[in-house]
Amino acid sequence: MLNAAAELSVLEAVLHFFTYAVMAVFAENIVFSHGLGVSHLLKLVETRDIRTLHYCLPILLVQLLSAPLVWAARVWFTPWVRTVLPGWLPAAALRPVIYLTCATIAMAVVWLLFRLFGRHAAPYLEQLPLATYNCCVLGTILICVNQNFTLLETVAFSLGSGLGYLFAVAVVDEGRRRLRSKDVPAIFTGMPISLIYIGILALAIYGLVGHSIV
Amino acid sequence: MPSTDPNKPRGKNPRAGKKKKPEGPQTLIIPQISPEMLESARRAASEGKTRQEIEQAALDTARQQQEAAQAAQAAQAAEAQPAAPQPAPRPEAEKRRRKTRAEAEAELAQRVHDDHLWLNNPVMMRGLGLAPIVVAASNCDNALMLCAAAILLLTTTRMLAVAVCHLTGNRFRPVIYVYSAAVLYIPAYCILYNLFGADLTLLGIYLPLMVVEPAIIKRMENPDLEPVGEAFRRGINNTVGLCIAILLVGMLREFLGAGSMFGAVLLDTPPLPIASEPAGGFILVGLVAALWTGVANAYVRYKQEEVRHNYAERRR
Repeated sequence: MLNAAAELSVLEAVLHFFTYAVMAVFAENIVFSHGLGVSHLLKLVETRDIRTLHYCLPILLVQLLSAPLVWAARVWFTPWVRTVLPGWLPAAALRPVIYLTCATIAMAVVWLLFRLFGRHAAPYLEQLPLATYNCCVLGTILICVNQNFTLLETVAFSLGSGLGYLFAVAVVDEGRRRLRSKDVPAIFTGMPISLIYIGILALAIYGLVGHSIV
Repeated sequence: MPSTDPNKPRGKNPRAGKKKKPEGPQTLIIPQISPEMLESARRAASEGKTRQEIEQAALDTARQQQEAAQAAQAAQAAEAQPAAPQPAPRPEAEKRRRKTRAEAEAELAQRVHDDHLWLNNPVMMRGLGLAPIVVAASNCDNALMLCAAAILLLTTTRMLAVAVCHLTGNRFRPVIYVYSAAVLYIPAYCILYNLFGADLTLLGIYLPLMVVEPAIIKRMENPDLEPVGEAFRRGINNTVGLCIAILLVGMLREFLGAGSMFGAVLLDTPPLPIASEPAGGFILVGLVAALWTGVANAYVRYKQEEVRHNYAERRR
């Protein structure tokens, strides 16, 4: 009986994890629902200098590794800071410093991981700082903090957000390829048509879900 | 009677022979008296120089001018004959006055690049700062709060980061830029909280996100280290451009999404309620950016044509 209950709870946890991850990829996509990381995304699809994976893999790893740190900072560090701070300084003012530090620590770990792969990882290392200090990473962290997610939910949502960003880049890249048509008026070419395309995709997701989940 | 000085270039001036000058030993004919020469003579007289000294100085100046004109003519003749071994160098003043077409075009391109208000707006032309505009700037009040945050953060971050980068020899640039913004966010948040109170929470995650917003830390991608003064000037330009875009989009979205402006109801039925949502924000910003790009490109093309017309004869 005890074993069955334990197995059930593990299965529930796995299901819970995948629910949050899938929600972050599609229904709460970081680009289409929250508009985060769009500036870099447009640059990524318009210039062929940077390959999608060289930019998105560091984002995914940094988000995944920073998730436990963020959870720990929210649960233990921030309440302690509130007791230390003077009355005139709200703890909310320190949120960027605290959570950027979590992302920076995760970046250092990812940097060490990439160094293990030698020169094959050079393009990833080149994009690592820009990927870390991106709206997508800090935005995901702040969503997890605002929603008081548990550790499991935070990790799942962070993983899903990273995959969701990769998904968004792939979809917009494909759209851009098709939108290089001569039928598109000259003033719409480039950024404007990409924004309208992202807007239509966001509208489709909004129509599917009907409201914001997070 | 004219002066009997053999060095005086009387014969070269056609007007010198025709004019009837009053007779007297102190009469002086200076060829092609320019206002500058008269002014310098007046200044010399006020300094207490004698008349002869003034005349001598004026003659020297006239001679120098003639020599410069002859040198310019020689240079032009040398240009016309490419086989000539060494063309005479053009005077510095001549070089400064005459701009080639390539130089004029480069100057125009630089002016367009530096115009962060209209022709190279950070939002509408370069696609920076889209996250807060597309999602958070859904009404005028939110747009005002975002503008205040941009004013407090953008220029100061750029200046502080540049100053620290000068100290570190331009190393760890991304970390410096982001932490400069995060540190400056602390006083900025206190100021904003005093200004807007609890309304600040309406911006949600988009206020702290300003510290990694590309419009604010975009410069970290550029390896060239700019001076602090230049950072201040460009920061102000970017701030004004960003604020114009935020306010414009905020007002449009409130009008279309709620039929009001700064809370005042203008229409009973909102014309386009989806404008308040992120999806509507994307589409609206895309349309405004298209219009902006069209007008800006038309103006730039007009200026380029103007340069081509004005410098048609100065290709080199």
